[in-house]
Amino acid sequence: MASIARSSLLRQVAAARPASSPSLIANAARAAAFHTTAKRSLLPPLPQKIEGTVNDAARVPPPSPSHGSYHWTFDRLVAASLVPLTVAPFAAGSLNPTLDALLCATILIHSHTGFQNIIVDYVPQYRTPRARKALIWGLNAATAIVGLALYEFETNDVGVTEAIKRVWKA
Amino acid sequence: MAALRSSASRLVVGAASRPTLRPVAAAAARGMATVSDDKPRLKTFQIYRWNPETPTEKPRMQSYTLDLNKTGPMVLDALIRIKNEQDPTLTFRRSCREGICGSCAMNINGTNTLACLCRIPKDDGADMKIYPLPHTYVVKDLVPDLTHFYKQYKSIKPYLQRDTPAPDGKEYRQTREDRKKLDGLYECILCACCSTSCPSYWWNSEEYLGPAILLQSYRWLVDSRDEKTAERKDALNNSMSLYRCHTILNCTRTCPKGLNPGKAISEIKKSMAF
Amino acid sequence: MIAQRAGTTALRRLAGHPNAFFTANVAKFGVAKPLSTSQARPGVQTEKISNSEAASLLAAQRLRRPVSPHLAIYDKGQTWFGNSILTRFTGGVLSGSLYAFAAAYLAAPYLGWHLESASLVAAFGALPVAAKVGLKTLAAWPFAFHVVSGTRYLIYDLGIGFARKTVIKTEWYILGTSIVGALGLVLFL
Repeated sequence: MASIARSSLLRQVAAARPASSPSLIANAARAAAFHTTAKRSLLPPLPQKIEGTVNDAARVPPPSPSHGSYHWTFDRLVAASLVPLTVAPFAAGSLNPTLDALLCATILIHSHTGFQNIIVDYVPQYRTPRARKALIWGLNAATAIVGLALYEFETNDVGVTEAIKRVWKA
Repeated sequence: MAALRSSASRLVVGAASRPTLRPVAAAAARGMATVSDDKPRLKTFQIYRWNPETPTEKPRMQSYTLDLNKTGPMVLDALIRIKNEQDPTLTFRRSCREGICGSCAMNINGTNTLACLCRIPKDDGADMKIYPLPHTYVVKDLVPDLTHFYKQYKSIKPYLQRDTPAPDGKEYRQTREDRKKLDGLYECILCACCSTSCPSYWWNSEEYLGPAILLQSYRWLVDSRDEKTAERKDALNNSMSLYRCHTILNCTRTCPKGLNPGKAISEIKKSMAF
Repeated sequence: MIAQRAGTTALRRLAGHPNAFFTANVAKFGVAKPLSTSQARPGVQTEKISNSEAASLLAAQRLRRPVSPHLAIYDKGQTWFGNSILTRFTGGVLSGSLYAFAAAYLAAPYLGWHLESASLVAAFGALPVAAKVGLKTLAAWPFAFHVVSGTRYLIYDLGIGFARKTVIKTEWYILGTSIVGALGLVLFL
């Protein structure tokens, strides 16, 4: 019985013509254009496209542990090994050349995978494959150059930790 | 409800005329716990609007002001009242109004939550801002298209997979400890609050599965009765499906059911590490 | 109960401004036939279309849909100033400067620059104190933040510290520790 009363009342509301309602007109005047999205955003989302029907599952990529679990585990091991390597020079004042070279190499790998993650996150393969390829190879080249430069600095100069220490105390 | 019923029947039996409506109004007023004679406490709701009938018009924010004395405590109450009384064109999903269906997931004052579980803050003068779930394709107003989300859910095969029959030929048994592992996972209602709070999912929703689907994936990975754990892990073992998670933890902070998708994803990564 | 309340509210409102349609309607429905819950829409015509036509219609509608706002409206503390993006940002600044310096160091002999450590030390030593402290802070805070926050992410990867309260609390601890750490590096080293 209660539901009968309710349904007829709701129907009454639904039947009300929106255009004739004074509150609507007032509200229309209070509507503001939506301005918070940037006008020219970098890589704006594409128009929506759905592959297959609603009942098809999304595509599952083929397994590739070298980009998945091995990569992730390697990343964490590198990051974890940086902890003692970073603390050591503070404890010891500075590092011997071997440890210093090890620190440099680890930081280089850590930086490289970090930049890689940034590229993978923000430059999607399916959408901009050429930009993705260019950036990944650009990063590889940059890392190689930096590796060479660090080798030069380690062999011909005083080493990274010692140099930072001297600058810091200057 | 008895009061309403008797008045309604009186209406039917007697000649329907204007004065007979009065008792209905009185009865209705008595039945409403939230009505009081205090001075009105006005609150403005700014709501995202976009109409597919006029697709060239840009999305806009529309303001509605309600008297909180006459409104239920939750944001969903306010939305329903706006739709009933001010603007029947306002469109949003709702069903259970008690946080079990996940229909009314939306972005309220900057974080995703269920409108039916979100109280209207009483004493601040600020407007409430209501948007659809972030970075989703908008069907209309507050209604996002979750087709891809559900397709991703289907892709993780969210059902028990076994080859061997149960030893006693009856049901698949589980120890209490094994059953306990599913607590905090099976309660997920797939409202998509967490997935659409995740910046990684914003940028890579085509390929990254997102926290909700990964939590569901973990629910089947830890199920002691499931025998396809290795296959399930293989399906996640690529650069995009799982490893776009950078433990940002917006998911854990936003989940309206108090679950922990971030923790679930971390457990998957841990189990796949070596 | 909410629909109920909405219904009664509407009833009260209509009772205030009664119209003939309303009262006649209730009486008519009550007497003539049981109420159906479906809504009558006079003047609306429907047409039958095939499944494939419906699919292409939907596909066309999808192409016009806007994307709901995200970075602009989501809680800034969890996006722009969230721990995760700050870690990425500080890491990017540190690694970026390393890459820039290393490339410049390699190119220096050809460009006539002096980037060997001795001249760097001399150049830095010649700066006024305020500039020294400023530059040191610019280097020390990102470093401290990245180290502290990165360590917490390693702990997360062990599956520790995921409770919602812990997540929020440690964000503040990390910010505090990184500031203290940076000041320590600048002032006491």
